[in-house]
Amino acid sequence: MIVQTALLIGLVLFSVLALFLKDLLRAAISLAVASLLLGIIFFRMGASYAGVFEISVVAGLITVLFILTISLTNTGEEVRESRLANLVFPLFFVVFIAIDALVMKGLLQKIPALPATPESGAFGDVLWKGRTLDLVGQIAVILAGVFSVLALFRKRDKDE
Amino acid sequence: MSNTWYLYLFFSAGLVAAGLYALLAKRNLIRLFIGIEIIGKGVTLLLLATGFVRDNILLAQALVVTYIVIEVSLVATALAIIINVYRHTKSLDIRKLAKLKG
Amino acid sequence: MIILFVALPLVVAGVLPVIGKISRRVVPDLLANATLLFLVVYTVAAGRPLLGNGPVIQQFALLGESVNLRLALDGFSLLMLLAVSLVGLCVTLFSIDYMEHYGAKANYYALLLIMIAGMNGLVLSTDLFNVYVFLEVAAVASYSLVAFGRGYDELEAAFKYLMLSVIASAAIVISIAVLFGMTGNLSFAGVAKALQELDAGPIVGIAAALFIMGFGLKAALVPFHAWLPDAHPSAPAPISAVLSGLLIKVSGVYALTRIFLNVFGLTPALSAVLMVLGTVSMVAAAFLALGQKDIKRMLAYSSISQVGYIVLGIGLGTPLGIAGGLFHLFNHALAKGLLFLTSGSIQQSTGTRNLDEMGGLAKRMPFTAATNLIGSLSIAGVPPLNGFWSKLIIIIALIQAGHPVFALIAVLASVLTLWYYLLIQRKAFFGNLNERWAAVKEAPFWMTAATVLLAALCVGVGIFFSFALKSWIQPAAGVLAAGVQTVIRSWGL
Repeated sequence: MIVQTALLIGLVLFSVLALFLKDLLRAAISLAVASLLLGIIFFRMGASYAGVFEISVVAGLITVLFILTISLTNTGEEVRESRLANLVFPLFFVVFIAIDALVMKGLLQKIPALPATPESGAFGDVLWKGRTLDLVGQIAVILAGVFSVLALFRKRDKDE
Repeated sequence: MSNTWYLYLFFSAGLVAAGLYALLAKRNLIRLFIGIEIIGKGVTLLLLATGFVRDNILLAQALVVTYIVIEVSLVATALAIIINVYRHTKSLDIRKLAKLKG
Repeated sequence: MIILFVALPLVVAGVLPVIGKISRRVVPDLLANATLLFLVVYTVAAGRPLLGNGPVIQQFALLGESVNLRLALDGFSLLMLLAVSLVGLCVTLFSIDYMEHYGAKANYYALLLIMIAGMNGLVLSTDLFNVYVFLEVAAVASYSLVAFGRGYDELEAAFKYLMLSVIASAAIVISIAVLFGMTGNLSFAGVAKALQELDAGPIVGIAAALFIMGFGLKAALVPFHAWLPDAHPSAPAPISAVLSGLLIKVSGVYALTRIFLNVFGLTPALSAVLMVLGTVSMVAAAFLALGQKDIKRMLAYSSISQVGYIVLGIGLGTPLGIAGGLFHLFNHALAKGLLFLTSGSIQQSTGTRNLDEMGGLAKRMPFTAATNLIGSLSIAGVPPLNGFWSKLIIIIALIQAGHPVFALIAVLASVLTLWYYLLIQRKAFFGNLNERWAAVKEAPFWMTAATVLLAALCVGVGIFFSFALKSWIQPAAGVLAAGVQTVIRSWGL
């Protein structure tokens, strides 16, 4: 539990860091580290498949896409973030965490839940047989993403 | 529900709040997108935590895997839009995208 | 084989870009339109046995093993499928000519078909997470369709639409996670049953509030409407038609209604919240529409206002109110689709969307003017067009349920609606012909054909409204009302 909590704190820390680092490249790396920590948290919860996915896809693929975009949009000028927003954030965040903790404490044991029915089968069965319609949706969304990229980067025809 | 769920909910709420703050307050388009990613992390953490306390970790993983696939397509589309915006304005500042009044 | 509604558009979408490389001119158009035509026919064909025997639930077996691919086609889903395929067909017809100068038509059709597959999948789902997945499928396709022209305005609108949409998705998934945590179930029936066993008042309220935020954002209910007036005008006209006419209704109103009426049950508190949100949308958007100069922006605000009507009718919860709301959903899909298509015709012929620059177009573009008039009168609620009947039913339902104030507000909003639509007519079509437009021609054949088809449907549904009500609105309303009754009875009210 202690390790898990430490990992969770690290996750939040690196995520927030990714928002406030001046250099975009370092921000992307920070986000990748946060994803790595999240993957480890997933592993320790017993969710090895989700952990693998998180690390390879979010910490890997998405980080690569980020770095690609950062390289392609390498302006000379920096986008200056609002000073006020940056100063207010720590205050906002601390207040939010405090309210969050109080709400959680108040909610402890308050949310009713039906008793858990343990599940059987392997992950493969659950995914392929239990959530098949989701898989159809995954195919559809992957097609949508591919065609979106193709459409948005198409060459200019003579008709356009 | 068991107390560990509330622990995870606590951190998940923190992540979602940080992400929302970024969406509202940041100006760099790529940082806005980092905000969206952080919200996604908060949501996947909550989904898995819910499955964990209900002994339904396999089902929760199936949901999270689907969610991550959707997130990748979303990232691809959004970054394609950002790169196109850059080609127009040579800048990543969202204040330059303020012609429409909403 | 209900899965065809989802599988067919997806498969065609998959092969379209490849075919598009081989034949750029005719085959993509032909394929896309044939798919939509098939969907329309199949909807009607699948609808008949359904309406005779009750809901169709299909469980599939892949390669001999039974998989959890449960699709349910009941009256409500059928109504949505009909609206999606009818408007979708007219949009693909319209796109044959309109999308010529955008380039990459095969890609465009592929994305449009994916969006339609996503919407079809949404209305056929029986599971909360499936609803979310298909919602995202349609949404991801729509972001790039809004940005398709890659112009400055389009990219800005698409990015802001994306940002708000992500917040909506997050709210929805968080709510699903909470419900899953409480009930251990994800299917509609399972969650409904479990919620009745549990006694979890305030937390269900929070889950419901998150759903209202998420789906309300998708449906562009005030105060979650900010993205729509930018996104819908900037998109290419046929996409605006699909977004305003279908997407906000399928991923917003349908999902909200299905979940609230068949899973949560419509408590008096929920009903009040929905009615208030609906009324505020109805009135605020109508006022905002008055000041617009851009014809598509005015139509966009009008969409927000009409969605307010729909939510008001459905939120009322009585069988008549639900029937009125659903009828208005169908009518508005037809009419708003029609109006956006005609605005596309105007934009193509004159190159402008600014009402002040137009004038007297009726002389040069008679078909466009006539169909636009029909669409406008339909939404404004002028008899004997379809919009009149649906608004009348909602108003009568409000009076019958003892809400005369809401009914009065609805009538006043109708008057406002009529006013700004007549403004469009006067400024764009009637009056003196602006010399700039002395040489414009009527819109190309397929564009005109598509708008004439939709206008004919508006008139037809208006004249034969009792047939429409009996054959496909009542079964839809019945499904929802039954759901409301079961849940309310179980609460001992």
